[in-house]
Amino acid sequence: MSSGIQERSDVDQIPVAKRPATSPPPRPQTWLLKVIMAATGSVFIMFLLFHLAGNLKVYLPDDPQGHFNEYAHWLRGLLNPLLPGSTFLWIFRGTLVACLILHVYSGLTLWIRAHRLRGRHPRKVHATKHHLIGRTMLWSGLIILTFIVFHLLDLTIGRVVESKQFSTAPTYTLTHGATTTEVTDAYANLIHSFERWPVAAFYVLVMVVIAFHLSHGIWSIANDFGATAHRVRSLILLLADIVALVVVIGNASIPLAVLAGVIA
Amino acid sequence: MRLILEVWRQESPDAEGSFETHEVLDATPEMSLLELLDRLNHQLVDNDQEPVAFESDCREGICGTCGLDVNGVPHGPEDNVPACGQHVRSFADGQTVRFTPFRAKSFPVIRDLIVDRTGLDRIIQAGGTIAVDAGTAPDADTLLVTHDDAERALDFAACIGCGACVSACPNGAAYLFTGAKLAHLALIPHGKQERAKRARSMIAQMQHEFGPCSQIGECALACPAEIPLVAIAAVNRERLRAGFKWRKAN
Ligand code: HEM
Ligand code: SF4
Ligand code: FES
Repeated sequence: MSSGIQERSDVDQIPVAKRPATSPPPRPQTWLLKVIMAATGSVFIMFLLFHLAGNLKVYLPDDPQGHFNEYAHWLRGLLNPLLPGSTFLWIFRGTLVACLILHVYSGLTLWIRAHRLRGRHPRKVHATKHHLIGRTMLWSGLIILTFIVFHLLDLTIGRVVESKQFSTAPTYTLTHGATTTEVTDAYANLIHSFERWPVAAFYVLVMVVIAFHLSHGIWSIANDFGATAHRVRSLILLLADIVALVVVIGNASIPLAVLAGVIA
Repeated sequence: MRLILEVWRQESPDAEGSFETHEVLDATPEMSLLELLDRLNHQLVDNDQEPVAFESDCREGICGTCGLDVNGVPHGPEDNVPACGQHVRSFADGQTVRFTPFRAKSFPVIRDLIVDRTGLDRIIQAGGTIAVDAGTAPDADTLLVTHDDAERALDFAACIGCGACVSACPNGAAYLFTGAKLAHLALIPHGKQERAKRARSMIAQMQHEFGPCSQIGECALACPAEIPLVAIAAVNRERLRAGFKWRKAN
């Protein structure tokens, strides 16, 4: 008895599309790059919230300048005397830079892979929030990267884009009872920078971009860490927007408040 | 109803391909999109022209064969309905309807609207099956599966392998497809035996031909089996879990 298939003489002539090459799977593996994105993104979020808490000291009713400068000073000497001098600050900075390199590297690699694998015909999309933000993550990310460089030059290093009055000299005196310490006037540097309206506008704009990046990014973290429980997923979706709003309102209000003369 | 059809014609995998425009004058609102193409093909054959090559089998939403893009959307304008279940009534009289093959680098065109979706088969071959000796049917109540788990496993098992999720994805990712199978088999007793091994091999194969997921969510809006979006998270959940198991199969 012969089967139907064997009787077909034209089987060999059925066109077969070109198969993708059977090379080994791409390294680093896609799922791992996503986990790296999520882990480094989580570190950035924790840093952002920590940084925000410090920034909000400018709103303290009595002596915001003193509180803000004390916080900046405290950060430099954190974990003293366990670690000498600013060791902790440098470990902290090293971790952030390492995370940034990993995050940007993974983001670019994923973007390249994604763009190689989409097909030729245009697609009509659903204009959902996650579509619009999710597809522009690389661009919002690159804006954030530019901002990070600007921000460091402006308020930490004091080169190229700093305000005329910028100074890292220990001109501010912190008083603790009988002891006094001379520290950098980080508060004055901040105010002077934001008194330049284009700089203030840039900060505000970037905070909005960061909020977009976060509202999709936090949702991505849940997926990349494999959160499948319904309640966890709904909670994170909500949390994503809350964190994004807190970051944008908390931070962007500072340059606006300086421009409006509320803090000086 | 009069409809203008713009159809992608491509002689062979290597051919350039281009759009061909035809008019169908006697379309009716209750025709399915595949019947619309049938109608066009009758017309073409009557005029001694080559009919448009497209795939279909069951025409009732269970086989997953009828994959094509309609006006740039996988399967057609309605969300979560296969092309065979979508109707001409979605269009207005005189409207132009554009048929293109599923869009993804991993789905090369074989001819006209037919693409090679065997990339999905290779993911299943990599481990989307159960290779343990299940023996004869066990006594009732010896293998306990809760009702919730059974329901959820069936929801994930509903995937018909059509490939719309890949075509819908701007990254050409197959996370919804792979995640559905991983989640389905992780929920049932026989599937649990090779859970970690399956996750490693299926995901390696998936990455080999398909793109990365950016959590955009187009896939779940296209999926005719209504696989929930949580399937994309199951991919990383299963892979991370396998990572903590080192060499163990389960
Ligand atoms: C304050 C700084 C930043 C924060 C808080 C942040 C946060 C995040 C988070 C949480 C995600 C989701 C990660 C995932 O689970 O997939 C993400 C994704 C992404 N980030 Fe960032 N990010 C920052 C800076 C950057 C920079 C500088 C780039 C530059 C290229 C970038 C590019 C991307 C890209 C392309 C994605 C999407 C990856 C994908 O499609 O899966 N991000 N970011
Ligand atoms: S997950 Fe849905 S869209 Fe993807 S192949 Fe299965 S049935 Fe088709
Ligand atoms: S022809 Fe079987 S699902 Fe459409």
